[in-house]
Amino acid sequence: MPVIEVRDLAKTYGDLEAVRGVSFEVVEGEVFGLLGPNGAGKTTTVEILEGLRTRDRGHVRVLGLDPANAGPKLKQQLGVQLQNVALYPRLRVHEVIGLFGSFYGLRADTDRLVELMGLHDRRNARISELSGGQAQRLSVALAIVNRPHLVFLDEPSTGMDPQARRNLWDIIEGFRADGMTVVLTTHYMEEAERLCDRVAVMDHGHIIALDTPRALVRANFEEDAIEFTSSNGVSVDALRELDAVSNATGQAGSFSIFSSDIPRTMGSLLAFARGQDVPLEGMRVRQATLEDVFLKLTGRTLRD
Amino acid sequence: MSAFVPLLLANHREFVRDRTALFWTLAFPILFVGIFSIVLSRGDDGASYAVGLVVEDDSPQAQALARLLAEVNAFELTQGGRGAEIDSLRDGDRRAVVVVPAGFGASIDAGAPQPLQVHYDAAQATTQQVVIPVLLGAVEAADRALTQTSPMVTVEFVTLQSERLETIDFIMPGIIAMSVMNAGVFGAINMVSLRERRVLRRLSATPLPAWALVGADVVFRLVVLLVQAALLLVLAVLIGGVKVQAANLPALAGVTLLGGLAFLAIGFFLGAFAKTEQGFFPIAQVVTFPMLFLSGVFFPVDAMPDWIRPLVSALPLTYLGDGMRQLMVGGAPVNAMVVNVGVLAAFLVVFFGLAVRFFRYE
Repeated sequence: MPVIEVRDLAKTYGDLEAVRGVSFEVVEGEVFGLLGPNGAGKTTTVEILEGLRTRDRGHVRVLGLDPANAGPKLKQQLGVQLQNVALYPRLRVHEVIGLFGSFYGLRADTDRLVELMGLHDRRNARISELSGGQAQRLSVALAIVNRPHLVFLDEPSTGMDPQARRNLWDIIEGFRADGMTVVLTTHYMEEAERLCDRVAVMDHGHIIALDTPRALVRANFEEDAIEFTSSNGVSVDALRELDAVSNATGQAGSFSIFSSDIPRTMGSLLAFARGQDVPLEGMRVRQATLEDVFLKLTGRTLRD
Repeated sequence: MSAFVPLLLANHREFVRDRTALFWTLAFPILFVGIFSIVLSRGDDGASYAVGLVVEDDSPQAQALARLLAEVNAFELTQGGRGAEIDSLRDGDRRAVVVVPAGFGASIDAGAPQPLQVHYDAAQATTQQVVIPVLLGAVEAADRALTQTSPMVTVEFVTLQSERLETIDFIMPGIIAMSVMNAGVFGAINMVSLRERRVLRRLSATPLPAWALVGADVVFRLVVLLVQAALLLVLAVLIGGVKVQAANLPALAGVTLLGGLAFLAIGFFLGAFAKTEQGFFPIAQVVTFPMLFLSGVFFPVDAMPDWIRPLVSALPLTYLGDGMRQLMVGGAPVNAMVVNVGVLAAFLVVFFGLAVRFFRYE
């Protein structure tokens, strides 16, 4: 039985159609990603699932309940992390964890949570003294204070340095190992590729693709990519004319050429570069990524 | 219910750890009572006013008058020449100068007494209100002593209060009522701030019921407000010398609580329309500031023009201030106590309803 069922969900704010009829299911124990740029409708979608917003239409069931009228019964079982919450600045970390435990009518396992989130040495620190990454980890700790089976994480790695982000990924993989179902929104394709069993790519309120990260890449690219940067103006159309090239993209001096035959394409690229006197910097060959998928599907990058 | 006490504790910690806010909550009453006590010092009662006396006549009557004036406690009498005394008056060293003209005694003997000349600065209110009446009284007494007659009609003053009410007795209940209003209306800022920082939204994702969240905040603000009012009351008695009717203290606490709840309800209602903490201040100011002047807490309603009276009777602070004044110092009622309590209760009910109606998590 799916943990979450969504059919034809839609939500409009005034003139803005934030979510325009999305459908998906999340099964027990998976990490499900909603990937897309800011404003794609990811947050609106999860906030409807969390019972924080009402929907205009569509069918939604979370843990078998309709979040629109399940009230505290559903909230008791959910873990929720929201973006941009500035908690009580003068409370200490352990006090906030204890306070949130009381909202669920239980005594929070503060020791376990601070240990798990790497906050044990910040246990007595005031919230105002935490770094952005530490505050973000605390918000994830608060999302699992009630030991939920289903947890929603909204852009959990925002504001984290790369090291902290990798630590968070380890923790989220730990959630999956514990059998938790995780719904994760992110605009970091690397995060989605690393963590998610399945990814729904959202854009302008629609789900434009939904599959495992690997299947999404394979469905859109049989090829690998040659990537380089160049300061000279290089025409993307010219790159598409090279041997065995299926597609080429260029954004701000950074180019990707997708090829079914890397040696042939490489040969013609080098000849092209020599003939046009184009410098090729940082050239490497890589597999296609979700970022490429998104770019191919929407014509824009995730960070736009 | 289990989250109510932890929320109360969280409010308490947030409050006492905010040293600046804590300081002002405690320092404000001390400052206010201190300043008003100094400005409205009772010292004036025992103070003596410098009065100059110029005697240009050496008759026995003039000597007797000088002796009688010297006995007036309120005057610190200095005798000197006319020119020097008038100069002293101009310099502000004398409140008034009394001149006994030459031929004064002879004119009394002749049955056509010459008037005494009193020089004073009419622009000085205390001279007008205090020195001149005392001087007239002294001269009248001297007149009777000199002419050996006894007065036919005398007046005995009977005041409404057992003890005479002074300005500070009038002001102090007003200050306490004002602090209850401010602590109430501005007390809602915590909720505005929690909403601005998206904490309310985060809490709405937990099973915590809204009543527990708001209830804990209201109870905490009410405690702060009562502590502040109690502090003001104690200081008013200790520093200001206000004579509080001890038997009324329970009723006073009750009215303070009711007024505090009413103003908190108004604050929470206003808070629903402020997106940010910064945005809340002007809204709260616009509502509280006019009440300071129009509710009779600092200026008696009697002194206001008639056309403004309907506005005065529409303001909740009018009823809180009047109720507190009656209970604290036995001041003359503007409204019956039942009216004060009833109107405050009505404000509480109406604005509580509006606050609930317009409450938003985001």
